[in-house]
Amino acid sequence: MNELFYIIVLPVAAGILLFLVPERAKWIKGIFALVISAASLFFAIRLFRLPAGIVTPDLLSSWFAEGSLCHQLMKGAGSFATFNIDSLSKFITLSICAFSLLVSLYSLRYITKDHQIRNYYPYLLLTAGFSAGTALTDNLLLFLFFWGILGLTLYLLIRGHDEESSDAAKKTLIMIGSSDGIMILGIGIIWKISGTLSISGLTLPTSSPLLVTAFLALLVGSFTKAGAFPLHTWLPDYAKKAPASSTAYLPASLDKLLGIYFLYRICIDMFELNQGLVFLLLLVGVLTIILGVMMALVQHNYKRLLGYHAVSQVGYMILGLGLGTPLGIAGGLFHMVNNAIYKGGLFLTAGNVEHATGKEELSDLGGLSRAMPVTFAATLVFALSISGVPPFNGFASKWLIYQGIIDFGQGAGWTNQLWWIWLGLAVLGSALTLASFLKYCSGIFLGRKQKNLDKAREVKPLMWISPAILALVCIIFGVFASSWVVPRIIMPLHGTFDYTGVWQSGTVSILIAVSILLGIIFYLIGNIKRFRTEDSFIGGETFREEMRYPVTEFYKTIGEFRFFSVLYHQAEKKWFDIYDIGRGMVLSAGKWLSRAHTGILTAYAIWLFGGLVILILILFKT
Amino acid sequence: MSQLIPLFVIIPLVAAFLIPIIGKFLEGFQKVLTSVAFLSLSVLTVYFICAGTGEPLLYTVGGWEPVRGIPIAIYLVADGLSIFMLAITSVVGFLVSVYSISYLNRFTAQNNFFALLCLMMGGMNGVVLSGDLFNLFVFMEIAVIASYALVAFGIEKQELEASFKYQVLGGIASVLILFGVTMLYWKTKTLNIADAGNILRTSQDKSFVVFTQLFLITGFGLKAALIPFHAWLPDAHSSAPSPISAMLSGVLIKAIGIYAIIRLFFNMFTLSDEMAVTITALGAVSMVLGSFLAMYQWDIKRMLAFSSISQVGYIVTGIGMGMIILARNGDQRVAALAISGGLFHMINHAAFKGLLFLNAGAIEHETHTRNMKSLGGLSRSMPITASTSMGASLAISGVPPFNGFFSKLIIIIAAIQGKFYLLAALAVLISIVTLAYFMKFQKYTFFNRQGARDRKKIKEVPFAMCFSMIVLAVLCLGLSLLIFPGIREVVLDPAVRVIMNASEYAPSITGF
Repeated sequence: MNELFYIIVLPVAAGILLFLVPERAKWIKGIFALVISAASLFFAIRLFRLPAGIVTPDLLSSWFAEGSLCHQLMKGAGSFATFNIDSLSKFITLSICAFSLLVSLYSLRYITKDHQIRNYYPYLLLTAGFSAGTALTDNLLLFLFFWGILGLTLYLLIRGHDEESSDAAKKTLIMIGSSDGIMILGIGIIWKISGTLSISGLTLPTSSPLLVTAFLALLVGSFTKAGAFPLHTWLPDYAKKAPASSTAYLPASLDKLLGIYFLYRICIDMFELNQGLVFLLLLVGVLTIILGVMMALVQHNYKRLLGYHAVSQVGYMILGLGLGTPLGIAGGLFHMVNNAIYKGGLFLTAGNVEHATGKEELSDLGGLSRAMPVTFAATLVFALSISGVPPFNGFASKWLIYQGIIDFGQGAGWTNQLWWIWLGLAVLGSALTLASFLKYCSGIFLGRKQKNLDKAREVKPLMWISPAILALVCIIFGVFASSWVVPRIIMPLHGTFDYTGVWQSGTVSILIAVSILLGIIFYLIGNIKRFRTEDSFIGGETFREEMRYPVTEFYKTIGEFRFFSVLYHQAEKKWFDIYDIGRGMVLSAGKWLSRAHTGILTAYAIWLFGGLVILILILFKT
Repeated sequence: MSQLIPLFVIIPLVAAFLIPIIGKFLEGFQKVLTSVAFLSLSVLTVYFICAGTGEPLLYTVGGWEPVRGIPIAIYLVADGLSIFMLAITSVVGFLVSVYSISYLNRFTAQNNFFALLCLMMGGMNGVVLSGDLFNLFVFMEIAVIASYALVAFGIEKQELEASFKYQVLGGIASVLILFGVTMLYWKTKTLNIADAGNILRTSQDKSFVVFTQLFLITGFGLKAALIPFHAWLPDAHSSAPSPISAMLSGVLIKAIGIYAIIRLFFNMFTLSDEMAVTITALGAVSMVLGSFLAMYQWDIKRMLAFSSISQVGYIVTGIGMGMIILARNGDQRVAALAISGGLFHMINHAAFKGLLFLNAGAIEHETHTRNMKSLGGLSRSMPITASTSMGASLAISGVPPFNGFFSKLIIIIAAIQGKFYLLAALAVLISIVTLAYFMKFQKYTFFNRQGARDRKKIKEVPFAMCFSMIVLAVLCLGLSLLIFPGIREVVLDPAVRVIMNASEYAPSITGF
């Protein structure tokens, strides 16, 4: 019981306390934040000892005298505070606390003068506490409250120091805040129809239009947070301009965890979906996968590229959860965790690269593998994971999702009959992901090193420890997927299942490791000395700097393909951005209305009397 | 305790009288006296709230008893709703007066400023407390005439023009209100609200009542800046000195506009469906159009002024929905929810809109411009202004954990419960638009790159101004506690009860 309380209140209270520490004492703040996140991780682990069930903690009301105002207040607050401890929320809380620890460890070094955000650590801790609260609460209103604050901290964790970053921050909060507002509608309808706000106590059919509206309203919240098409547009902008630690913390891991967690709650726990809604979910899923990765392919800014991948991967989770079968759900949840791990790691390593070089464009980089070996190795592991290459964890979860889709195809509904579309597009998305990560890795780490990058060195250990741990987890989750991770961690979350496709991750990993080992042995036995290297033949000319072929050039072909070029062109102009469409509409309405305000007094007086006359006419007619 | 009621009117009026006389000889007298007077009003209000008896407190001026049940004295009535309004006026008024201490340093004629401020305060308190129609009108005129002068306080071309428009339109509205009052007097032969309520309840002449009501709605609607009667507000509120803008937007339009509508239409007239729908429709239209207009502005204070129209729309919509439900004998609890949402938003709006205007004043004080396009990067040089205005912006756009989130939540949920789905959707939409234009304000003013102007010259405003802004920012956070049952019963519920049990107002005063 107390664990529950500490996990939420401890980071929040510590965060508020940290506001009082002056900004100059950066190290003290950082270490304090680290200690607090370690403590909440400890409590999150202890949370597993609690039995599953609904908990209503006695909120401090024993601290105040009976009948006093504070007592009354806490009693009132307590009526909203119900918490649901089941295996899923425990697991999500544990992941949140683990990420908080890793990110605050990373931030110690990363948050320096270049990346300084006012009150970074307080916001970090507030985020940790409120995220845990979001995952644990059972009351929809309390959930909305926590959820909304997370949108706010997301906004506060990006520093608006120039035009572009201010724009990204503004867009982020507007989109997230709008989705929160829309969620109020859904929650209101649920309250009206069922009379309860308890997430666990709801089982609503999606038969009436009102309930479908409620479902869609909540879906908007989940999609915006997780960053699914077409509500994802804030994410790439945020990823590009925010400090890497902020991006790794919120949009890449916590928002994904919570967004998909909420998707699970609404799709599986609260509503019973009909065929049309399942179709909608699957459609959004594959669209998100394909469009996200297509946009990622043509990016030049590597953080923005990662941002689009953060969108694209959400599609798999939606696909998995949308299937609604135990296999699909397990795949979706497993992918959610895996994605949080490797995507968080990717942003942290991207932060390392940025920290070491100060460059933001892929074409300015190259050949850093030797200078930054740990970062390179970690990035490679993450890249292979996200592209779904065995034996890493991304493959394991995608494999589950593919299995789930095939399994889903056995069903009778018309959505089930379309299984080959879902499967085909999901696999295609995975292939394109690999293609774009080839670009990412080779663009940054391989190829010829540029002169101005000579000074780039590996970052300090404090900054590579967190990515290294995450990379290790990627490997462990991949290698032991079928023997340990899926049966012991993922199955308790929703339910057991068995699948047709045989996949023994341990065996396959051994096979892969053996084949790599053999390759190395052959390479070593074969006479290396006879192996000669030569610069590329360029017609006898000496190699000059402008003859470099940055890897981004190769991917231009995609953008120039005729059909795509039109689409990309329009996407550049933000034709498909729901945010810009909305802004345009509101602004034109405002412009049109402003024209009426001419400042001429007689016109205003006419409005006054006109209003009066119209009111009289209307009311006396009836 | 009821003996203390007249103090709410007397203290500011006496202060207004003393300031021009003594202030002439005594440096700084006007500032100290105003702050002390408003502080004492705040203390009195807190005392009234805490002592809160269920019954309305009555003070008969001159102590004249009713003759054969007909009240002849001037009544001052302090019931839950009045005390709630007094809390808004006196607290915001106190903070504004503290803020003005530093803000006014670059103006001459400070005596006039503070005297007018006290006069406005006295007028508003009088409106809120007055138990009869004619005094309500007189006090309203005191308040608005003081505000006409205060809008023109800068005596530049722009201010004078704004004040002129405000006077003409406000004058028309006052005439309409006076006309309505006269009609009522002609019909009921009494000016006492409670007495008139008793007579109107038995009256059969429906079209007469509707006709009168429309004149009053138009008149008070103009004071409350409901669209289409809002045209004076953007000019007046943006031209006034910033602390006065905070008073006008945060308090005045509520005390003489919304309060008067609530008092007359709930407690005097019998509730009628068509009038409730009219009020709700006016509120909804203001809510929607006001925010679209605000989105298009580049002048900070003009944007805030349009935003006031939109937020007043929220308040009126919330209260109007409750009125519709009550008039149709719907679910009492839903009506109470809608009304408490409206009142909650009213007190919240006073806090955050007051704060936003004070922020705008601080920005203007340091940078001498209100145009967002030429500002930028102020979060570094003015940290307190930046963080408080961030809080206020988030509060008004309904982002948790600030107070605006909860009041909007209550209004939206009440709309859904009452099956006003369209209004609920509009409220959400407008909350999004509000968020959008306040993010624009934040971005262009406090973020972005610093403007071309010399960055060293811009520094944080003096202590007195910071003090008011910080207190209001704390209020923006702290008022969210009003959602919890424990404290809601002390502050919000007495006011809601007055509105909900509308027909009990008259008997509790006249005794039958």
